[in-house]
Amino acid sequence: MALDIKHTFDENTFRHSINGHGFVLHCHHYMSLTTKLAEDFADLGAVRVLAEVAEDTIRPVIESYVKEHGITAPADRLQVGCEYFAFMGLGTMTASGSAAGGEAKLPHSHVDEGWVQKWGKHDKPINHFTRGFVAAMFAVAFDKPARSFEAAETASIVMGAPQSVLSVKAV
Amino acid sequence: MTVMRDQVVRQLVQVEAKANDNGLIPAFNVLVNQLPCTFWNTVAERMMAITPPDRKTAMETALVNCAYECGYHTGYGIITSPEFESAVMPMVTEGAKDVLRGAYAVFTAWGWAKSGIVQIKEGESMTIRAVDYYEADSGGEGRRAYMIRGVSAAFMELAYAAPYPNGMNTFKSDQVRGIEAGDQFGEFAVSKK
Repeated sequence: MALDIKHTFDENTFRHSINGHGFVLHCHHYMSLTTKLAEDFADLGAVRVLAEVAEDTIRPVIESYVKEHGITAPADRLQVGCEYFAFMGLGTMTASGSAAGGEAKLPHSHVDEGWVQKWGKHDKPINHFTRGFVAAMFAVAFDKPARSFEAAETASIVMGAPQSVLSVKAV
Repeated sequence: MTVMRDQVVRQLVQVEAKANDNGLIPAFNVLVNQLPCTFWNTVAERMMAITPPDRKTAMETALVNCAYECGYHTGYGIITSPEFESAVMPMVTEGAKDVLRGAYAVFTAWGWAKSGIVQIKEGESMTIRAVDYYEADSGGEGRRAYMIRGVSAAFMELAYAAPYPNGMNTFKSDQVRGIEAGDQFGEFAVSKK
């Protein structure tokens, strides 16, 4: 499935939109440092905040797409999430599961590979952004509200694994 | 002739960020991502919201630093790229000042802010004005264009500090006006540390 992408550029504000949502380009330094910021302020709950923000801001992008295109099957909706993941430059992802949970595998990951490029390997998983992204994908796939799914990294590229794996469960 | 921002923007906006077979966008010596503006705005808003008063400055500094390092490394990749060479360099007649103008044209083309240099004292200070920027849509209190602040200090360093990658921590950037705080435009003052 190839995403139907409509990219518009506002000649007045000079802002970009993808399928009606405002988008902006940034780089792995920005993402890596934002992840590090969350780790540095973990005592305030910043890691949880980063994952929740990803869930809350990615969800409308996937949800509006599947509704506009009449995509209803959960597997197809998960696939839309995976396609958006790649479109956004975040890597490659496969995902499967049910309303009870499932799994997402990332052979390539912008968050992990960006971190490794910047600082090298790490001793614990750092893909809090993608945990939120995957939670949003599953919530859209199974028509559930926010915070219905939790994703935990069980293997991590940043720790030396060949691919990152996120285990998803309904909460 | 000097760098004509809108002309550069219209050329560069045609360059689309397209992921490779690995779902990654390697460009300008970095891995590029394209995300909803709401993600970056909401990260800043909620991070500030969970931070107690005695740590607000540390959080604000960290948010600015995220963009500062991004701006320094990506900015270098941009001003040494073939795209910059073809779209901007033919208009450069005033050395580093024009390279900076070109960098802000790219800044604008990428959707960071409709912005430009309104005053510059070469090697010393610079004032940036932004009449539209996505951070103006963020929630929270006070002036909160952390990204523009960080990137502006980085761009000044690329133009006037020690050659890349040794020029960091030479300039600082302060936000003196903000659309998000009720002003008509955003304004950023870059000066030596």
